[in-house]
Amino acid sequence: MGTVPIRITVNDRLYELLPGRDLDASTTLAGLLRERLGFTGLKISCDEGACGACTVLLDGKAVLSCMLLAVEADGHAVTTIEGLPPDHPVIQAFVEQCEPGYGTALQCGYCTPGFVMTATAFLRRNPRPTLPEIKEALSGNICRCGCYSGIAQAVLHAAEKIAKGGQV
Amino acid sequence: MKTPFTQRTPRTHVGQYRPRIDALEKATGKARYADDLFAKLRIPDLAYCKVLRSPHPHARIRGIDDRAALALPGVLGILRYDEPQVAGLKATSAGWTDGVDTVSYETMMWRRYRDRRVLGDYACWVGDEVGAVVAAETEAIAEEAIRLLKVDWEVLPFVLDAKDAMQPGAPVLHPEIAPQNVMPEDQVGGPHRFVDKGDVEGTSVFHNATQCSLDPWCCVIEWKGDQQLTVWSNSYETDQSRMHISQMLDLPQTKVRVVSPYVGGQFGRGDTGDQPFFLFTALLARKIGRPLKFKHTRRESFHDGRQQATYTARVGARKDGTIVAMEFKSIGNAGAHADHTMFALKFAPMELTEVALAHVPNVRFEAYGVYTNKMPACMMRGVGNSQTNLILGHMVDLLAEKLGMDPIDLAIKNFGHEWEHLPNKSLTEVLHAGAARIGWKEKRHAPGQGPTFDGTKKRGVGFSFHPGWHAEWQEVRRGEVQVAMTLNPDGTVTLDAPTVETGTGSNTCNVLGCAEALGFLGVTPADIHWVAVIDTNLSGKDCVQTDSAVSYLQSEVMAVAAKELKQKVLERAAKNLKQSLDDLDVAGGRVFTKKKKGGQSWTIAEMMNAGPLVGLTVRLSRPPLAERTGVPYIVTFAEVEVDTATGRTQMLQMAVVNDCGCVMYASGAEAQQIGGQTIGVGEALYEEIVYDKPTGQPMSFNWIDYRIPTMADMPDIDPVLLEVWRGGGEYGACGIGEGTVTCAPRAILNAIYNAIGVRIDEIPVGPEKVLAALGKAR
Repeated sequence: MGTVPIRITVNDRLYELLPGRDLDASTTLAGLLRERLGFTGLKISCDEGACGACTVLLDGKAVLSCMLLAVEADGHAVTTIEGLPPDHPVIQAFVEQCEPGYGTALQCGYCTPGFVMTATAFLRRNPRPTLPEIKEALSGNICRCGCYSGIAQAVLHAAEKIAKGGQV
Repeated sequence: MKTPFTQRTPRTHVGQYRPRIDALEKATGKARYADDLFAKLRIPDLAYCKVLRSPHPHARIRGIDDRAALALPGVLGILRYDEPQVAGLKATSAGWTDGVDTVSYETMMWRRYRDRRVLGDYACWVGDEVGAVVAAETEAIAEEAIRLLKVDWEVLPFVLDAKDAMQPGAPVLHPEIAPQNVMPEDQVGGPHRFVDKGDVEGTSVFHNATQCSLDPWCCVIEWKGDQQLTVWSNSYETDQSRMHISQMLDLPQTKVRVVSPYVGGQFGRGDTGDQPFFLFTALLARKIGRPLKFKHTRRESFHDGRQQATYTARVGARKDGTIVAMEFKSIGNAGAHADHTMFALKFAPMELTEVALAHVPNVRFEAYGVYTNKMPACMMRGVGNSQTNLILGHMVDLLAEKLGMDPIDLAIKNFGHEWEHLPNKSLTEVLHAGAARIGWKEKRHAPGQGPTFDGTKKRGVGFSFHPGWHAEWQEVRRGEVQVAMTLNPDGTVTLDAPTVETGTGSNTCNVLGCAEALGFLGVTPADIHWVAVIDTNLSGKDCVQTDSAVSYLQSEVMAVAAKELKQKVLERAAKNLKQSLDDLDVAGGRVFTKKKKGGQSWTIAEMMNAGPLVGLTVRLSRPPLAERTGVPYIVTFAEVEVDTATGRTQMLQMAVVNDCGCVMYASGAEAQQIGGQTIGVGEALYEEIVYDKPTGQPMSFNWIDYRIPTMADMPDIDPVLLEVWRGGGEYGACGIGEGTVTCAPRAILNAIYNAIGVRIDEIPVGPEKVLAALGKAR
């Protein structure tokens, strides 16, 4: 690696990062975002692409930040959970879910930022999904507390919010 | 269409469907977990450590040459097994307590089985923490330094299977504790009274599973001088951790501070946290003079799990279905360290005999815990009960089939608590409710005789039931439960109901319980601040997230403490408002004079602000109520579809019924009911730690080979909340969280039998077991 800084936009702010000082060749995007830049909303749970807890958006597409090297994000725009406004329809739907029969959409909350990011990218592609489509799209994320019913309801409710003009 | 439950006693806050109090904090990524507190950005002088793990299933260290590791740039120090401060540490166990009560070294639960050395020289499984810990500037450097350690291993013969380990001549792990690997036998029940062969005999094998908390277990330890240390961690038991560290390192309790913020899932991980890694991290942090972090990788998080156990049983009954004798025998694979193995193998059955099998005249349980060179078994959500249920539900299904009865009728005829007459009302209602929701009568058919779908698929239904746990009388051992409530001058309330929030929703239960108890102040949940970070320097003793009992234990104490606070409010009001105490009352958020004519009233804030601006605090420590109320029941019904061509089992539907006594927080209770099935279905169909038999190497310490159910694997789950039974106290609730995982594996096995007409006795039921059962395996 040279001493040329890499440039990553995170949540609309440009970061210039120096190899050797801020990252090295093996630093993952997840590690950089959490340890160096303090975006600890994303979680490193498996660190091998099996659980989805580290999901962020790269140019609007959901990616596993533990499976990307930080240098691969050079010149790209990253959105983490901290980059979504609190009134974001997906966040709101996850918070509000208490429709009887489905439980809540989160318990321990460790997987939640990852689910929110995956669901956000999915709803941008498919704003009126069916339940089977939701199950398919979110099956790369693990919730060990098992709130899958609540999460699916939250995504359906988020779609309703988007249909009413919510910005995703 | 889902049907909401109906409260037996209408309440304002307790029992509501509503969001969790921490939902926004968690959904926006702002909730901080232990790993988040110590991002390098936040603590620039943070150092990291890694421990040497045995690559052999059974070995002893003859010596370690650490020169190359020490010479690696970025290495800050090494703690070795042969240093006096390490070698002098007492032998210990990771199972001091089951978390119900705080215990000392002397009174620890399994003091017969203190088989763990902290950073010793003796490895009993692949992954055992031994020999040396390295501190470095980064985790990568620490890992590299571990690889540079030249370890002289004396490799020993090993054994993986419990039955093999019981044979004479097998390698022995802890000769001073168990000369033949077999922990002393534990029996429950009466003498052997089987006159004849049982009417039915059966076997169930529960393969191991592990908790898989998403939040990797970690700690950061920092010293002030040589005598004062702070531990930040995602341990779920702060008071016990303080006891553990203080006693093992010989420090006064005032010198050990333990802090736990939010925890990303617990599920029983690592017993109660009496783990060697806290101790070696502490010693090495003192040695290098910097805050030091230890974090398990995902592979290392496969650290302990549920006991693999083989159960055999026989049951004798009269033709009318009255069970006259039950005999159970279990052989449990403890793995390398005993920890809580005998809890699972002995305590769970003992409780079962009291609270469910009390009306069977002859009951006998025999349990053997056996050491092997596998990952240690310890606590996991549903400890012991999950395994015991696998055989109990098997015997009920087998016997019902032999007698030509509906297993629902057989269960109702025989099972209940010793303090009551049969039939048990709670058991009857949960079974009937679950049967209605799943469509038991319409869907059940003779084993294997149902219609075929898509050419090769067969469907079936099954259920299993279990007594719920724990009711308040079963928590007496907890000692005392502490809460403190402070009414602030502006009328808001600060609640210190210390319990580490691991996801169970007890924080929301506590806030709802507080709002309910303080109804006279007119507070809503939004006016109550729950202290999310538990800190032994600031909080009372934490009520540990075990037995699912925290959902109501602290609320019961609040109900009593509220009466004291009400008196204090009236006394303050009399003083501030210059009224006679006898003339005042408080209700609905207003203090008022009782006079019928010309009465006055004030808001709480007005009253509080009419005098010194000092809050009113009530702190109460109270033992759980010992009132003998029996227990309620739980049941899980499952419908499956088995593809007889591929062997694959697909979950179609589940109904989970819990008699809660009192639902403390409906949305949270449902989340536990639904969520528990992810572990239950996982254990039934997918999750297993596989070992390479010739080498003893675990093969599935990751989430690709150890497969956890995802959203695509889980069926529609109908969570059914009932309030039939009633416990003691204001609410009369019972825990539900642990029980929700318990019945799923057996319900699924019974459903598979109903579908294909062949019984499979071992979980997980992968396609290969189905094909073998159908005689289609190659």
